Amino acid sequence: MKKVLFFTIMLLAVFVVAACGAREYEIAMVTDVGDIDDESFNQGTWEGIEAYALANGISHRYYQPQGESKEDYLDAIDLAVTRGAKIVVTPGFMFEEAIHEAQALYPDVMFILLDGVPHAGDWVPDIADNTVSIFYAEHESGFLAGYAAVKEGMTSLGFFGGVPVPPVVRFGVGFIAGAYYAADEMGVTLDFGPNNYEYRYSFAPDDTHRVRAAAWYDRDVQVIFSAAGGVGSNVMAAAQTADAWMIGVDVDQGGLNDHVLTSAMKALDVSVQQMLDLYYDGAFPGGESRTLTATEDGVALPMESSRFTNFTQADYDTIFGLLSDGTIEVPANHEELVAFFAEYELGDLPFAATDVLPAD
Amino acid sequence: MIELMNQLNFAFPYIIRAMALLSIVALGGLFSERSGVVNIALEGIMIMGAFAGAWTMIIVMNNMNIPLQWNAFIGLSVGAITGMVFSLFHAFAAIHMKSNQIISATALNFFAPAFAIFTARSVTGDRALNVRLDYAISEVPILSNIPILGPWLFTNAYLSTYLAVIIFIVAYIVLYKTPFGLRLRSCGENPHAADSLGVNIYKIRYAGVMISGALAGLGGVMFVLSFSTRFDGAVAGFGFLALAVLISGQWKPIRLILIAFLFALFRVISEIPDELVGIRNLNLPQEIWRMLPFIATLVILAITSKGSAAPRAVGEPFDAGKR
Repeated sequence: MKKVLFFTIMLLAVFVVAACGAREYEIAMVTDVGDIDDESFNQGTWEGIEAYALANGISHRYYQPQGESKEDYLDAIDLAVTRGAKIVVTPGFMFEEAIHEAQALYPDVMFILLDGVPHAGDWVPDIADNTVSIFYAEHESGFLAGYAAVKEGMTSLGFFGGVPVPPVVRFGVGFIAGAYYAADEMGVTLDFGPNNYEYRYSFAPDDTHRVRAAAWYDRDVQVIFSAAGGVGSNVMAAAQTADAWMIGVDVDQGGLNDHVLTSAMKALDVSVQQMLDLYYDGAFPGGESRTLTATEDGVALPMESSRFTNFTQADYDTIFGLLSDGTIEVPANHEELVAFFAEYELGDLPFAATDVLPAD
Repeated sequence: MIELMNQLNFAFPYIIRAMALLSIVALGGLFSERSGVVNIALEGIMIMGAFAGAWTMIIVMNNMNIPLQWNAFIGLSVGAITGMVFSLFHAFAAIHMKSNQIISATALNFFAPAFAIFTARSVTGDRALNVRLDYAISEVPILSNIPILGPWLFTNAYLSTYLAVIIFIVAYIVLYKTPFGLRLRSCGENPHAADSLGVNIYKIRYAGVMISGALAGLGGVMFVLSFSTRFDGAVAGFGFLALAVLISGQWKPIRLILIAFLFALFRVISEIPDELVGIRNLNLPQEIWRMLPFIATLVILAITSKGSAAPRAVGEPFDAGKR
């Protein structure tokens, strides 16, 4: 009896594996930490792929790596290629070294690396002809969010970052710049310093995030910008209890809670679709590194779902125009932030370099 | 002094919330282990409970117009029932099939998040379930005016916390004042002696595991309700934390509550060191505060391990022929 059961299961397993191998998927996505519905980075990417693939009738599939090491990523990429992937999309700077190896291993496969550039672990960019690296101007997105929040009438702001990885840091720096720029324009004094600026070292929900956010709201922080993935849901809960505001990140999170003021978006889906389009037109910009800014509509605030009462569409169009025509150059790191404060005479910068990018 | 009072008023609801959750789940573990079945599946059961509870609350909210707290109550009940049913897998494997209890429980821990995410995604297209609403009771009438205790216990509180208190009292009485409790405890200490006196070991152990499943499932919904506004396929390791509480609490309800309080206290303090006078001046890094409950656990375990009160037959499948 047991033997029969055992063989049945084995047969079934073989059958399942064989059934999987029978189909091929042209467009592949390998996910970063998190899942394709993290309401954030991976989801934005996947939605772009799905929309493009469905519209053009192309087979597509995503693969989740077993872990977060380079080997795990390479295994997942290998699996994708074995299953017939012609173009592989990988979101996140974690893939930089894996893609560096993969682009040499599979010269016939195209790679789209979002938020990173391939390198061999030495931070020297090395983009092969079958890879395109895409960056987003998160600092501009953060700038818009900070500007809008202060224009809306908030004077006490807070920032929750996830892990201080480059995109998260850029979000924070831009948020500071936007907030102080708007404050200067309006002639108000901001309560926004290192005490209200923190990295949570996590992208997952936990009760401690909520306590922290509640403590900030308790000392009259009016809005917290949460650039920290799943931590956002705890901030939303705290905002709801305190009847205060929070700002979402990456994708439009306005539908998740009534206390989401707006979201600092980056147009992941649009950029992925653009690249796929170029690939299928035979014009894949291999070897290039592109940064999508306001000029390319790479960043935005979702004005329809935002809950502004004082900050109008016209205000938004004005500031967005200043960013996209290059009148305002938004700082992306502490050094540039110092220069930005000097250029626009915004007073003393309350943030030290280690506040913005903590030493390891 | 007034400042200190305000800070305590702020921090206490959060401490109580984490403490209620930890002690309810740990109490679940206690029922199972005192009956002789190790239950490290608490985390997985919590996730299942949270999943079912959150989903029910969303459905009820969208289709029926009932008061918020009734909805919370329905969600909590569904979570408890789901947890109970889910724990039956562990009970069947551990009690009837005499399997290794660690392994069958680990299987549940692996299964639960995957199942919850898969199901949620198949049905709603999104792995997270958005409850959207915060179920806090901002003030309990009359009671919130009591000095000190009012702001601590009766403002910004959750229905689940009060349920936890009631459950705890009932559980204590059941464990120590009823024949069932005596039998349950004897099954964990010396099942053969209990068997010789006509106690049905299987029935009692099933009951123990099912109660533990119900409490863990309830705990899962508590996690969603009181910390977040959505279920995201995880409960932040509270199931395992509850196990630590259970062991540090030496499988005794009252000690368990004290340990849960300690864990919750440090958890909250670690997040708001700047806000608390006295603590602020210590200038300790946040990490130290986070470590404290675990260091305390190690110390407590080191001191008390000699007189460890672990149920003697815990983890051993019952075999009537083996005396």
